[in-house]
Amino acid sequence: MNSTRRKLLTKGASAAVAAFFCNGKSYATVEDIHSVLDPPPKRDNNVGDEAGIVKLFTPEIAENGNSVPISVFVASQMSAEDYVASVLIVAEGNPNPQVVTFHFTPLSGEAKVKTRMRLAQTQDVLAVAKLSDGSVHKTSNHVKVTIGGCGA
Amino acid sequence: MAKAKARIKVPKTASAGEIITIKSLVNHRMESGHRTDKDGRAIPRKIINKFTCEFNGKPVFSCDLGTGIAANPFFEFKARVMEAGTFHFTWIDDEGIKIEARKEIDIV
Amino acid sequence: MKLNRRQFNAILATSVGTMAAPVPLLGQAKPKVVVIGGGAGGATAARYIARDGKGTIDVTLIENSKTYTSCFFSNLFLGGFRTFDSITHSYDRLESDFGVSVINGYATEIDRDQKAVKLRDGSSIAYDRVVVAPGIDFDYESIPGYSKEAADLAPHAWQAGPQTRKLHELMNALTDGQDIVMLAPPNPYRCPPGPYERASMMAHMIKTKGFKNSRVTILDVKPKFSKQALFSEGWQEHYPDIIEWLPPDIHGGVINVDAKAGVVETDLDTFEGAVLNIIPAMQAGAIAKTSGLTDESGYCPVDGASMRSRIDNDVFVIGDASIAGAMPKSGFSANSQAKIAAMNVRGDLSGSKVFAPKYGNTCWSLISAENSVKVGAQYSANEQGEIVADSTFISATGESTDLRSLAYRESVGWYSAIVADMFG
Repeated sequence: MNSTRRKLLTKGASAAVAAFFCNGKSYATVEDIHSVLDPPPKRDNNVGDEAGIVKLFTPEIAENGNSVPISVFVASQMSAEDYVASVLIVAEGNPNPQVVTFHFTPLSGEAKVKTRMRLAQTQDVLAVAKLSDGSVHKTSNHVKVTIGGCGA
Repeated sequence: MAKAKARIKVPKTASAGEIITIKSLVNHRMESGHRTDKDGRAIPRKIINKFTCEFNGKPVFSCDLGTGIAANPFFEFKARVMEAGTFHFTWIDDEGIKIEARKEIDIV
Repeated sequence: MKLNRRQFNAILATSVGTMAAPVPLLGQAKPKVVVIGGGAGGATAARYIARDGKGTIDVTLIENSKTYTSCFFSNLFLGGFRTFDSITHSYDRLESDFGVSVINGYATEIDRDQKAVKLRDGSSIAYDRVVVAPGIDFDYESIPGYSKEAADLAPHAWQAGPQTRKLHELMNALTDGQDIVMLAPPNPYRCPPGPYERASMMAHMIKTKGFKNSRVTILDVKPKFSKQALFSEGWQEHYPDIIEWLPPDIHGGVINVDAKAGVVETDLDTFEGAVLNIIPAMQAGAIAKTSGLTDESGYCPVDGASMRSRIDNDVFVIGDASIAGAMPKSGFSANSQAKIAAMNVRGDLSGSKVFAPKYGNTCWSLISAENSVKVGAQYSANEQGEIVADSTFISATGESTDLRSLAYRESVGWYSAIVADMFG
């Protein structure tokens, strides 16, 4: 009984995140994204990252919002049965918050990507990972965007 | 629009099963659609919205880009190489313009 | 213990006194000052010591070039905003109007025991105080494949003069579809925003010529640079398809420069350029090292209260060759430091009053026509003799064209003023 209930819940959550990760679908606002992610992390829908498998690396201070280095790593064996399917990067304070979605396959070997993004202002950057089992994990970093004042 | 130049770094060789690092860089202004020209008119969005990497026809890595990716999109990612073959990279922008590149790898 | 300013100055004066024995050499031959290097630091120091000494101090300036071409504003020459003549100046008035003996020669070493400066032609000049202002020299080996000889084909143009003309010549020969590749240097180096102003000027030239397929690629060894947000904004607005800046985590490191073939090989890829502008790592001008005035950094430690060498009390080091704490290496800084050194040299030799130092710097950079950004600060020396910033300012992103145009005109005014301050 208990396990059936959990299954159902997981399925429901999976449907929501499936829509979320649907190729080409755009989320105009942070609210749109939150409507998918919220209610906030619960074990039942696995949104959250209790296991700490999502690692997001961003500078604490970005002196040039036009080009901010970012990298994300999701711990996974990347086997045919168990791999990271997608990672979405969200910049809540950008005019278009959906920065990029990475798609992986077992051939990726590791779910690890480095890129450069634009940040319109000081804000939180989210990394949301969806695994092949449908579970969703997220983490976020705060990035302060300032104009570099050093002469050297 | 200036010529688009794609630059790719793939090791020439790997051992079977090795996870290699791939770097890709392409020249593109990634016009966000959020800027205005000096007369105050909106500059229309024109970005690369899709990047894919396949190996011997099988998907390895891809991404859907938004306007928040910096100009001259750069990606560094991984690939597990089981056999010799060819990586095929494509970038597609809002106008459907496609940029392609290929790199071979051998197994030692 | 907390000191008020007067107590602090008194202590400072005492310590300088015991260090430097400021006994006026009255009744003897006039005290001799030798200044090595006739740039923004050296020329200013020579002029101030001679002028304010009112004939009581012999000042000799040793400079290897017959004329002075300023490194500052040399990018504007490359961009077509200045003529070469307008950034080239004569030493004549230092001699005729201020009585400085200007010697055209290359100083190779300071014999600090004998208190004499040796020149390449074998002559030597005695001094009571020497002001060392040799600027920078290059560490060619910092770039694999690059050398002094290769600099003829792939100029650094980071010492203004023939190298600047060479780069200008190469830039003018560029045709549409050909690229420019620049290697930006590691910190610390002369003129921190300089490489990025230069890239702006190169892009301006490409845009002005109507080229559609030429690019300026900056391969940087630094992950970030001076005024980056301002340059980045300006490049996006004016040169979105022309300038490409690649930090080390993207290009993965420079493996080799082939000046003859016009290629720079990096871990990412091989970059071809019809123009290669290779700017190597820098260190203090050679004489600073041969005279034992540098530390492991390759630059000269100084007391920020006076610009006096921490290695030899009779030696002052100013400008790019010195380790001036928070101050960047710039013509403005060198000129500012020269006046403090001049005051202290006169204090040593004629007992004139010495005050606590105030330094200033502003670096303007031209991004496009009438569009300058600036960064700067006021500085003083702390109790440890380190130069620290008291207040700083920087242009903002999204500024009006009026404000940028004002900054440009301010820089033009500053150029005239500093040249007048150096040469009279």
